[in-house]
Amino acid sequence: MKDAPAVSFERVERVYASGPSVTRALGPIDLELEIGEFVAIMGPSGSGKSTLLSLAGALDRPTAGRVRLRGVDLATRTASQLATLRRRSLGYVFQDLNLLPGLTACENVALPRELDGASIAVARREALEALDTVGLGHLAERFPEDLSGGERQRVAVARAFVGARELVLADEPTGALDSMAGERVLRLLRERCDESGCTVVLVTHDATHAGWADRVLFLRDGLLASEARGSARLVPGV
Amino acid sequence: MSVRNGILALLAEEPRHGYALKSEFSRRTAGTWELNVGQVYTTLARLRRDGLVAEDEPVDGPRHRWRVTGSGRGALEKWLGTPVDEAASRNELILKVLLALGGPPDRLRLVLDRQRAFAMERLQEYTRARPVLADAGDLSAELALDALVLRVDADLRWLDRCEQRVADRERESRLDRGSR
Ligand SMILES: Nc1ncnc2c1ncn2[C@@H]1O[C@H](COP(=O)(O)OP(=O)(O)OP(=O)(O)O)[C@@H](O)[C@H]1O
Ligand SMILES: [Mg+2]
Repeated sequence: MKDAPAVSFERVERVYASGPSVTRALGPIDLELEIGEFVAIMGPSGSGKSTLLSLAGALDRPTAGRVRLRGVDLATRTASQLATLRRRSLGYVFQDLNLLPGLTACENVALPRELDGASIAVARREALEALDTVGLGHLAERFPEDLSGGERQRVAVARAFVGARELVLADEPTGALDSMAGERVLRLLRERCDESGCTVVLVTHDATHAGWADRVLFLRDGLLASEARGSARLVPGV
Repeated sequence: MSVRNGILALLAEEPRHGYALKSEFSRRTAGTWELNVGQVYTTLARLRRDGLVAEDEPVDGPRHRWRVTGSGRGALEKWLGTPVDEAASRNELILKVLLALGGPPDRLRLVLDRQRAFAMERLQEYTRARPVLADAGDLSAELALDALVLRVDADLRWLDRCEQRVADRERESRLDRGSR
């Protein structure tokens, strides 16, 4: 039997009602993301990208329709079950507010594993390994404020993939970085996706970053407008 | 003119056989610009006619090598020193979108969506080739790819801008109608 998709949206809508005004932020949307797929979401400001990402990342609930992660309907889960799911199986990389300031890079990466019940020694070993994969093993004992913006985002990438994560969600993770540092974060996301078999969903305004994805979805006014599926074909002669 | 000057540049590096010119041209442009043998020989014939290249006596077998002449070097220096003026207005994509503006908005949106998806797929292909090239250490291929990536990126930004401006215009005209 075919594996259930990493993420599936079935007629998903997210509507915000404040007083008399109603904003349809997203939907209705039907969508399936395969396990191991790297998907980028693009679209103008306000088109619903972050809303879609929050729903896929169990950070928000739809006002209609079903969101399933590996076949599990999130509506059937209690708040505490969702919290466990987020801690154990999901990873997040956001534009800022990523790392806790009082903890070293290593402690930041180890934290979700410790919260999940791993011993401090195991969590630390896994954290160091994860930092190595993003080329930051040598900065493990630094505090976030002593790292560059690009290094902080790479720590966040390490943390998002540490342990047995299944789905990593990144919302504008390169927002404040210059283009070379941003490119590096993207390459890492791609590498970690390929090596871990995780599904990655990336929201970005930068087409050259979306170029790393297997599939790019374009949103307009909360709906899917079009989609790009790059073939495996390389540039001729390369 | 580009092919002609490209061939001149390769011959200024060292004398080459016709076939070697074809493959070196392709290699140096990272496979983004392929010449066929016929094209190479016609170009060489014209360059010879204009006194910019000459044939060497064949040494190894029947094929002879071509080399650049003194005036060929002069022509090459002149080309390298002259800025390129690629008129952005003579571009099929721009033309298509500008003309689609005269039709129904849905069709314009379709044009933009199709082109955006297509351009993105190109970008995905180029991006996939990047780590391979970086590992191979092929600088000219990397730079060729950078050029392709940044040009597609410019197209994508322009498509976004078209859509945004059209949407703004539609909103304004709705407001105008509403306030009347
Ligand atoms: N808490 C909220 N209350 C009311 N409306 C909201 C709320 N959150 C988002 N929205 C609205 O939902 C729509 C989609 O927002 P969303 O944040 O998903 O956009 P986005 O595509 O991520 O934009 P950006 O590129 O600017 O981050 C917007 O119109 C926004 O104003
Ligand atoms: Mg957003």
